[in-house]
Amino acid sequence: MTYRYTVNPSRCTGCRTCELACAFTHTQEQKPGRSRIYPIAYGPDRFVPVTCLQCDDASCVKSCLFDALKRNETTGAIELDKDRCVNCRACVAACPFGCALVDDVHDQVVKCDLCGGSPACARFCPTKALEYKRIA
Amino acid sequence: MRIDSIEKLDKWRKECRRTFEAPKRKVIVCLGEGCLANGSEEVFNEFKKLVAEKKIPDVTVESVAKTGCHGFCALGPLVIIEPDGTFYTKVSKGDVAKIVDKTLIGHEIIDKLLYTDAKTAEKVANYEKIPFYARQQRISLRHCGTIDPHKITDYIAVGGYAALGKALTTMTPQQVIDEITKSGLRGRGGAGFPTGKKWATCAKAPADVHYVICNGDEGDPGAFSDRTTMGSDPHSVLEGMIICAYAVGSHQGYIYVREEYPLAVVTLQKAIDEAKQHGLLGEHILGTELSFDIKISRGGGAFVCGESSALMRSVAGEVGEPRAKYIRSVIKGLHDQPTVLNNVETYATVPAIVERGADWFAGIGTKKSTGTKVFSLAGKIKNTGLVEVPMGITLREIIFDIGGGVPDGRKFKAVQTGGPSGGCLPEGKIDLPVDFDSLTEAGSMMGSGGMVIMDDRTCMVEVARYFLSFLVSESCGKCVPCREGLYQLRELCAKVCDGEATEEDLALMERLAKTIKVGSLCGLGQSGPNPFLSTLLYFRDEYLAHIRDKKCPGGVCRKLITYAITDACTGCMACISVCPVHAITGERKKKHVLDKNICDRCGSCYAVCKFDAIEIS
Amino acid sequence: MVQMTINGKVVKAPDGEMLLTVIRRQGIDVPALCDHAAVEPCGSCRMCLVEITREDWNGWKKYVTSCLYPSENGLIVSTHTPELQEIRRNIMDLYLARCPGSELVQKMAEEYGLTRTSYKTIPEGDNCIMCYACTRICEVLGRNAISAVHRGHAKVISGPFDDPPPDCIGCLSCANICPTDVIEWHDQDGTRAIWGRTFDLISCRQCGKGIITRDFAEYLKEKRQIPADYFEICDDCKRVELARKMGGLVDLAKEVAS
Ligand SMILES: Cc1cc2nc3c(=O)[nH]c(=O)nc-3n(C[C@H](O)[C@H](O)[C@H](O)COP(=O)(O)O)c2cc1C
Ligand code: SF4
Ligand code: SF4
Ligand code: SF4
Ligand code: SF4
Ligand code: SF4
Ligand code: FES
Ligand code: FES
Repeated sequence: MTYRYTVNPSRCTGCRTCELACAFTHTQEQKPGRSRIYPIAYGPDRFVPVTCLQCDDASCVKSCLFDALKRNETTGAIELDKDRCVNCRACVAACPFGCALVDDVHDQVVKCDLCGGSPACARFCPTKALEYKRIA
Repeated sequence: MRIDSIEKLDKWRKECRRTFEAPKRKVIVCLGEGCLANGSEEVFNEFKKLVAEKKIPDVTVESVAKTGCHGFCALGPLVIIEPDGTFYTKVSKGDVAKIVDKTLIGHEIIDKLLYTDAKTAEKVANYEKIPFYARQQRISLRHCGTIDPHKITDYIAVGGYAALGKALTTMTPQQVIDEITKSGLRGRGGAGFPTGKKWATCAKAPADVHYVICNGDEGDPGAFSDRTTMGSDPHSVLEGMIICAYAVGSHQGYIYVREEYPLAVVTLQKAIDEAKQHGLLGEHILGTELSFDIKISRGGGAFVCGESSALMRSVAGEVGEPRAKYIRSVIKGLHDQPTVLNNVETYATVPAIVERGADWFAGIGTKKSTGTKVFSLAGKIKNTGLVEVPMGITLREIIFDIGGGVPDGRKFKAVQTGGPSGGCLPEGKIDLPVDFDSLTEAGSMMGSGGMVIMDDRTCMVEVARYFLSFLVSESCGKCVPCREGLYQLRELCAKVCDGEATEEDLALMERLAKTIKVGSLCGLGQSGPNPFLSTLLYFRDEYLAHIRDKKCPGGVCRKLITYAITDACTGCMACISVCPVHAITGERKKKHVLDKNICDRCGSCYAVCKFDAIEIS
Repeated sequence: MVQMTINGKVVKAPDGEMLLTVIRRQGIDVPALCDHAAVEPCGSCRMCLVEITREDWNGWKKYVTSCLYPSENGLIVSTHTPELQEIRRNIMDLYLARCPGSELVQKMAEEYGLTRTSYKTIPEGDNCIMCYACTRICEVLGRNAISAVHRGHAKVISGPFDDPPPDCIGCLSCANICPTDVIEWHDQDGTRAIWGRTFDLISCRQCGKGIITRDFAEYLKEKRQIPADYFEICDDCKRVELARKMGGLVDLAKEVAS
């Protein structure tokens, strides 16, 4: 079974539910993590939910000198191995879309991992601007 | 001339022998490092000059030969007149004219220059009769002091490279390994690992490249047997390595030589060059399929560089620091390739075994420790020097019969074997047979064969502190138990010496020692607490005397002793002039007085008093 | 796969996987101070020591560092014998003498009931526990800028010859990996100082925020072929830019559709 994560900006109302869902899904030691997704306004009442595109030839993967970023072949997401990451922030600087970010609360670099195969943002998005669809 | 067959080698040997044996009488001057330091080069040149001038019928300039070390360096410069074997000690340039006139021309022996037997106080004319030599059996040192290390022709003359010829032309590599295994040879570098087994494992390890390394790091202070072998008989080491290369299938070898041995490097390099010139090293050795080269690698200058994994990193150009390993270096060693690492003495023994057979070697020594072992005698012993004896000989024989016992009429107290991380054995162990296993069982070890003899004026706690200090400064600092543990153990030892330790401290030391032993990464740390543990095992009462009674039975620990002047004082004023704190007063020819409150307990007065009038309590 | 016994329980593990990894997967907590997933194990802290034996060893056993010992069939591993706990306690006691100020050391020592060291506190001691994490990570990075210099008790982490390391690129990997936070650094006025050197920080072309050092960016560009202009804008501004670009496309699509 193959799934695909899709973003449809024209449906996004900027409600920021995805942000909350993401932060709470990535809670550690009772502290919510930094959200990996941001609905960003590009005009009056017009939003784009910006999140990692899980690029094919991903800059973040290339930039990590410690092999801390690897693609999960099942979900298709590029996941960050916390045990290997040393917070050098090469990936943060290298991602052309700014989608590897620094979680200041946990002093850690984070990025979208598609929640291991059940993206919370898509589950909670009230308008289906975000979807995780089975394609095969 | 390239020697590309056994026949050529034999022919060459005949020529070499003719030259070597040509002079009927020979003047042999030791130009080993010890004698050199005492001016033997001048002695040698003077002989050459005078012999040329005097035109003695049976002594020509060719009769004046130089050799490497004879192992009796404390008596150097040594001169031996052959064929009589007349043995002169402490020969100075000024003595040469007398020797030429009296001995060479007049066939007279000069008593003054003879060796005085340590036991009987009699003069001994012939060196083979000196107990120091008579009791020895030399295999590894067989050519030291008989040939000129800078002449490959000397080595060939005494049978050099015959073992290599035998191995290459009459034995398969497997047969060589079997022979070494059968001989029971165990590594002379410390741990006593069976050499044949090591070679067999390496030979079997699948890889294109195998390395052969010789460990000439000799880091133990006081040990100098490897230096002697490399500097006085370098070809034996090369020959042993080439035989090993043939056995395990190696094309590249390294000799790792301690930083402080520049002369040995020169001698070895000359030997390598000469061997290559003659086709005994390099491509197609002796015209066979075997190609093997040897390079010299200079040591990293630290004791721990002698440890196998550190040594291999150092040879590879990395920091000489031990590496934690679960795969042994025979399988994954230098550049991660199978590597045989053996000690200098181990390699030097190999040609003798191949030539004379495993059974001959196995017949010497004990069942589990075959052959002979070289020891460096040092400390409070009359005959300091290098001795090679059969394994299983007792400590008593080595120390008293060969070494001549303790000087100055003092009593033997302990002997430290195995270098800084070895252990101290007390008088009660004097009849212990010296071999790998019994030394280990007694809480010490063979190590590289250092033996430091101590007399009754030795404090065993201080000895432990001293050796621990050495190890603290030599620890590479990589792992915690060794880096921090040895340091703290040394500090606690010092506390005992200062009379400030409690019995709880002693218990803490014992716990700490155990942690260091089992917890350390490499052999240095694992054997590091030995100086403490072995002295505690045999001299616990001395520790307790420091702790409970605040006394140092050896009369050494400064804070626990007092100096006083007895009635034996003649009033010579010697002590007054040396005392740095002016604690001694008195008039000439009247008994002097020492003020205990001022005295700094430095021992200067004790050292200068000729009348034993200074008392330590 | 091999089969071993860990604390009496039969466990399967991939052949050659280090024991520490296997043990931890079992939920057993073996202490370790120099272990890190991104670097090769080095065996310097000795806390991860475990006891191993085998059926055919006839009662003979030995201690090995589990971070450095590969799994093999038939191993019988014990992780918390009284002897091991005693060794670990003694090691923490030694650490406490050397790094009395380190919270990490204090915390771990406390687990062994130690609040102060039984030994002499080392006057020149600091909080570096000599775990080599920093030098190893710099090695993985391919810079090898820092290493342990001097010997034995005087050993410290430093640049070559104790000078500022010329090969450092100011990436902070060492400072970040250091378990006791002893590697000092600070960012100020568009520069970063570490190991006695000062580096230029690239500041975001749009908002001015510091990103990474120019040397680090150069290194990534050369080693991993990442276009230089990727590094010129910070992540925040890049997200806004993406929103703007995507939004433009969405609007365009709408226009076309209507
Ligand atoms: C701290 C340390 C220092 C050592 N130093 C030496 C040395 O100086 N010379 C030597 O031959 N072996 C030394 N060894 C032993 C070597 O590691 C190795 O066992 C030996 O060279 C093997 O050769 P062998 O089998 O012929 O004895 C040392 C070992 C340790 C742990
Ligand atoms: S973090 Fe950035 S570079 Fe990496 S996959 Fe996501 S969008 Fe691409
Ligand atoms: S921050 Fe972490 S994941 Fe990103 S490049 Fe550095 S080590 Fe890799
Ligand atoms: S035992 Fe000592 S010498 Fe050996 S690795 Fe540890 S610190 Fe270095
Ligand atoms: S900051 Fe310098 S020393 Fe530290 S890891 Fe980066 S390059 Fe190496
Ligand atoms: S500076 Fe930090 S990372 Fe480096 S050895 Fe010391 S404690 Fe370990
Ligand atoms: S150097 Fe002459 S006997 Fe040793
Ligand atoms: S974690 Fe294994 S020795 Fe430090």
